[in-house]
Amino acid sequence: MLTVTLTINDDEQTHTVEPRTLLADLLRDRCGLTGTHLGCEHGACGACTLEVDGKATRSCVVLAAMCEGRSVRTIEGLRDDKIMEVLRRHFHQLHGVQCGFCTPGMLVMARDILRRHRKPTEKIIRHELSGQVCRCTGYANIVAAIGAAGAELDQGASS
Amino acid sequence: MAEHAANGWIGARLLRKEDARHLIGSGTFVADIRMSGLQDVAFVRSQMAHAKLRGVTKPERYAKRVFTHADLDAPQIVQAGPELSNFRQSPYPALASDKVRYVGQTIAACVAPTRAQAEDIAEAVTVELDELPAVVDVVAAARPDSPRLFESWPDNLYIKSTVTEGDVASLASAPVQVKRQFKMNRQATVHLEGRGVLAYWDARLNELVIYLSTQGAHVMRHGLAMALGLPENQVRVIAPDVGGGFGGKNRLMPEEIAVAALAMKLGHPVRWIEDRREHLLASVHARDHYYDLTIWADREGHLLGLAGDVYIDSGAYSLWPTGSFMEASMAARNLPGPYQMKHLKVNTFTVATNKAPMGPYRGVARPGACFAIERAVDEVAREIGREPVDVRRLNLVASHQLPYRTAGGLLLDTGDYHASLETVVGMVDLPALRKRQAAGEPDGRAIGVGFAFYTEQSGHGAAEWTKRKSRVVPGYESANARMLPDGSVLMHVGIQNHGQGLETTLSQIAAHELTLDPAAISVRYGDTAAGPFGFGTFASRSIVFAGGAVAKASRELLEKACRIGAHLLQTDVANVRAEHGAVHGPNGKVTLAEIARAANIRQELLPMGEQPLLEVTATYEPGDSGGVFSYGTHAAVVAVDPDTGKVEILDYAVAEDCGTIINPMIVDGQIQGGIAQGIGTALYEEVPYDDQGQPLATTFGDYMVPCAPEVPTVRIAHSVTPALCTEYGVKGVGEGGAIAPPAAIANALCDAFRAIGAKFNETPLTPRRVSDAVDRARNGGTAS
Repeated sequence: MLTVTLTINDDEQTHTVEPRTLLADLLRDRCGLTGTHLGCEHGACGACTLEVDGKATRSCVVLAAMCEGRSVRTIEGLRDDKIMEVLRRHFHQLHGVQCGFCTPGMLVMARDILRRHRKPTEKIIRHELSGQVCRCTGYANIVAAIGAAGAELDQGASS
Repeated sequence: MAEHAANGWIGARLLRKEDARHLIGSGTFVADIRMSGLQDVAFVRSQMAHAKLRGVTKPERYAKRVFTHADLDAPQIVQAGPELSNFRQSPYPALASDKVRYVGQTIAACVAPTRAQAEDIAEAVTVELDELPAVVDVVAAARPDSPRLFESWPDNLYIKSTVTEGDVASLASAPVQVKRQFKMNRQATVHLEGRGVLAYWDARLNELVIYLSTQGAHVMRHGLAMALGLPENQVRVIAPDVGGGFGGKNRLMPEEIAVAALAMKLGHPVRWIEDRREHLLASVHARDHYYDLTIWADREGHLLGLAGDVYIDSGAYSLWPTGSFMEASMAARNLPGPYQMKHLKVNTFTVATNKAPMGPYRGVARPGACFAIERAVDEVAREIGREPVDVRRLNLVASHQLPYRTAGGLLLDTGDYHASLETVVGMVDLPALRKRQAAGEPDGRAIGVGFAFYTEQSGHGAAEWTKRKSRVVPGYESANARMLPDGSVLMHVGIQNHGQGLETTLSQIAAHELTLDPAAISVRYGDTAAGPFGFGTFASRSIVFAGGAVAKASRELLEKACRIGAHLLQTDVANVRAEHGAVHGPNGKVTLAEIARAANIRQELLPMGEQPLLEVTATYEPGDSGGVFSYGTHAAVVAVDPDTGKVEILDYAVAEDCGTIINPMIVDGQIQGGIAQGIGTALYEEVPYDDQGQPLATTFGDYMVPCAPEVPTVRIAHSVTPALCTEYGVKGVGEGGAIAPPAAIANALCDAFRAIGAKFNETPLTPRRVSDAVDRARNGGTAS
């Protein structure tokens, strides 16, 4: 067993974990943060995407032990985030949610895209989303919602 | 702010009630449920496709944590498949007893505090198997000399049957005869949330509680109670948030029975959460159709008839309740499509092989049938040198002919099929595309356009399901409407929401009937202890059945509210009307909240003889239970690299008609999402097996699902022809999007390479298959 100290949603915590414990399992099973979903557990579907030190990361292919001293932010830790507030509104208004299982990972990835690309084009959004699987929506409304959020944030930044 | 349509809430683009919890990560899926004492299950699964099970050796240290067939308290094997005497039974134990029949079949269950520990134990279990020859190829499996899966069967056929209409022998001398083979390969259903089950014995209520990711909690309770030998009132099934289903969560599965049986035995909660490998290996598989068809036409292109064989590779067992028998019969009956051909003779073979059992998947059978007939229509057009669109114009059932019974026996009800075709031809601008093709592409790619028409039977009830000899007849849905003392409404329904937005659309219907705002209505489902019996969400049935039940329960509740309101207003009920949440009389109004208060907690205000409470349970089935047919035409424009075989969809357009629309935003979402899955079938998704019966796609590294770069934003045109026998004229829309894309895209590829005659008759059209087909055609062959 190993001891790991990390910051989860601004709260510094110490956990004793097996070397093989996944970051996603630590968060879901020990911290009660079940908004991080597991869709494949081999880093392919993106449902478990969260932020480690500000970067979008797949928590199903990161060991908890690798997060010593790092800062992890999950969907639960982004409720007051300005970009996320805009994204949530556009996902809602443009029907970017159906069953909701991919949604948290999709939103975290969308936020990451908007932090790296000012007012991204549809082509950029589709390319950047290529590691996120959604089986319900057919992506169109998700892509549109991210584009609309990007446009709104861009306008807010330039006015 | 909710957006009101001209016709009240029917047709309003109301934003979804479901979104709020999912947008903050607060949805509750089975894997999110935490319970003290909860332990995880990992299964030991067969590594061989076909073998005698000689024995299971438990690791000594964990002997009490490993459970085999003999250790479970003998769950009953529930008979599955249609109630036909000639449908052969394939007893499917929760844990294998004497034989394994596919790679991934459950052999033992291992229980530990964490899944990782349970998997460690599973790895230490030794299974002794005597390998038998694997039965893999569906056509070979159907031959009498094939090795058999079940010793008591004379061959590997669950059932064979023939659908006949007219006299195909009379077509022997027809001027055009086209013979083709089509294949739609095996897929998984790939809901992003895997299956999941958590069970525990509730000592206080003396019942087994089962949280289950399912499309229909009530039907599953019936099956689980039979399997466990419990009375149904001691089984409670709760479906919390369900992360997609698409058919894959609508069959009773061995893992679920095993976990429930373990919960009864162990005295603490246990759960099993399917991982993606298990999903691709051993969840519901789908499609796997093979068609060997002849289609006859005259020189102008009038389709005369169709005959041939349909093979359905159903895998190793029938899943309760219905098995996969519907695949064959629906495929055969849908083969004539929307066309006026008179003669049909289709032999169907539903075949057992050493592969995972088949179940329903969005579109059930029709994607295969649509692929076959729509490809065949294009082949006829090529044969006689006409535009495929012209041959469709010639043969589509005209609106003045509706209702029209097809050669397959389906009664197409309402619509304008020609208008749908013409609309979509206009949307893609066919003449402009032909010019572009003639000019050629600067990058050397080939451009093609393909069309495919589909119908989507929906809202079919008792008449249809009894004809199919279904073990469970989903002939109605139910709603329990309850107005509480403050006038707010709880609407319990038997249907199951798992992404379709039913909390929203059903509240629109209730709001429309009760003259309330949808915000005042809370739609509840997925708990057998709370709601009335219902069948769940599948077969594009929810808005027809559950929508109808909600409308009926709401109306009956409002009738009673009007009687009480009239009494409170001291007038006759004939003088009152409901409007804006109140009952209005000649001299004033009384709100529904005031009426609800009287009905629930102030009985002295009720009229003489009126029972207290405002609560109604209603069931609904449409007037004609043969089903109502949504329909549409899909058009795909593709660009194909002839050397690599890579396909890009340049444009995708749909002209559809699903009757009256309750919420246009949700309808468009269903169409776009269905088409994405159809594109998966057409181009990417496949579970291939090798000749030893080993599955070759068990991760998302091997099993390709379409992502954002592969799925275009579909252009959708609607027309509305209301159904004649449903509430508001609605028809179902959930499956239609997934039916036509394989046909439209394959037709587009054939169109792109029509100069060299390359044929694309097998899905998915992977780069390998496409480049091989181009290669073959270039080298002079045109075989499919």
